[in-house]
Amino acid sequence: MTSPASDRRSDLAIHTTDLGKRFGERTALAGIDLEVPRGTAFGFLGANGAGKTTLIRLLLGLAEPTSGRMQILGHDLPGDRAAALARVGAIIEEPRFHPHLSGRENLKIHCAARDRAAHGRIDAAIARVGLSARADDRVKGYSLGMRQRLGVARCLLTDPELLILDEPLNGLDPAGILEFRGLIRALVDEGRTVLLSSHLLDEVEKTCDVAAIVDNGRVVAQGSIHELVRGGPRAIDIRCTHPVEAVQLLAAVPGVTRTTDHEGGLRVTLSPEAPVDREIVTALLRRLLDHGVAVERVAPVSASLEERFLTMTTRLEDRS
Amino acid sequence: MFDLRLIRAEVLKLRRRRGMLSIVAGLTLGVVALAFGVTAIQHAGNPGRYGPAGGAANFRDALDVVMLLTIVAGAIVGSTAGAQDLESGVFRDLAATGRSRVALFGARVTGAWAVVLPVAALTAAAMAGASVGLAESLPAPSAAAVLAGTAGLLATAALSSAVAVGLSALIGSRGPVIAIVLAFNLAIAQILVGISFLGDLRQAIPTVALARIAHANADVHTTLGVALAVVGAWVAAAFAAGAWRTKTREI
Repeated sequence: MTSPASDRRSDLAIHTTDLGKRFGERTALAGIDLEVPRGTAFGFLGANGAGKTTLIRLLLGLAEPTSGRMQILGHDLPGDRAAALARVGAIIEEPRFHPHLSGRENLKIHCAARDRAAHGRIDAAIARVGLSARADDRVKGYSLGMRQRLGVARCLLTDPELLILDEPLNGLDPAGILEFRGLIRALVDEGRTVLLSSHLLDEVEKTCDVAAIVDNGRVVAQGSIHELVRGGPRAIDIRCTHPVEAVQLLAAVPGVTRTTDHEGGLRVTLSPEAPVDREIVTALLRRLLDHGVAVERVAPVSASLEERFLTMTTRLEDRS
Repeated sequence: MFDLRLIRAEVLKLRRRRGMLSIVAGLTLGVVALAFGVTAIQHAGNPGRYGPAGGAANFRDALDVVMLLTIVAGAIVGSTAGAQDLESGVFRDLAATGRSRVALFGARVTGAWAVVLPVAALTAAAMAGASVGLAESLPAPSAAAVLAGTAGLLATAALSSAVAVGLSALIGSRGPVIAIVLAFNLAIAQILVGISFLGDLRQAIPTVALARIAHANADVHTTLGVALAVVGAWVAAAFAAGAWRTKTREI
């Protein structure tokens, strides 16, 4: 009989506990606890130097952790690395290839390090990323976008249960980004898990179901995109007559932290403890109308993932 | 540890480097063709002044030169096999498959051998053929001399390329490795051979062992058994150092 804890672990594609990595005196990861559910697109967000790529390198066995535990697809790392990575496809930063070989030959080289069935998937993988017409050209003639596509094709050779993609949108034009987003969603719809590390917050918000925000080597927030955004700053935009008086009136409403001019109207910023939106809007309107201020427009402002990210993280230059 | 699919992949990477293969072929087969060809033309033009191109003595002289050039050829192929995954950044993706890194390294050594040894064998065959075919009135090289010369060339190619693969794993790029292999074999080894107070320690110098295997002119006496053991030890040391670095490298 399996325990509830082990059931939960089997639902996770990636599970790390107190994972740490030091480079000499510098701490790159300081106790990362990460849970990536199977069958989701998982966004991994962090500023430059936050530790995103370091974590990916540890997961892929490219560097050794200094503390903590990690599991991929239920296999312990580093002890069971070969089994853990057998059905993991990865792009780490910019995908690299032998430039003097064709795209197809590069995939053949990679297949030699995979199981024998991988070789039979080459044509399908090339077709899926739209590179069939250029597959026999040397990679040295490929654009960065084509290399990214070839990198994805390389990931598909292993029929992956888990794809780990580190900044996969680099070098893609807007059409390529849109196409890539569709590809990721299609892979997730097939039951695969995608870990997407990116600095393009808008893309993560549009593509992923779940995300973690990492800062200074620690996970500072983790949950569904909806949950992450909901925890962000709240505000209400109001357009009214007598804005100067309105600022003073609104300051007295419980839950209002400040009121500022914003695009010809006022932006009322609310504290996290403020009542739910409907109640606070009613309170604000009543306060203004009771004092003879006519209200032309009221619009709640929802925080974006980007705003949420900025409130949670420190920038690299701030740290130094 | 030696996976045939990985070795085939390594050979594919090397085979597609046409420029490198041209240089290697030029240094070995090309030099043999040039040396015997020019001498043969000179002999045909003026037999009184120029002797036949073939014969046992010419075989020995050609062997000395070709062994030196085979060191260069082995270093080029070995350093390319050893460093191309690291230099291109592909090694990271191969390691991320979870495949044993020692197996990945082993494939580089055997892949380099799969390219350089046939070239060395062809070169030896061309030398032997020319030495016998163009001997005319001169004594042709004996079967034992041809066999020893071929073994010497093969050992030279195997040792040079294996050491270059191992050094490439330690250093991570081709250029310095070729420079180190050449500097050691062409300069440092010659200086060490000349230091007489080193005595029997000089038997451990690779060029001394290779000269013994090839029955070439040698300054230090050693037995065939010791020579084979020395070559084996250098290959093993290069393999061990390269495999260790490949296994422990953080990418």
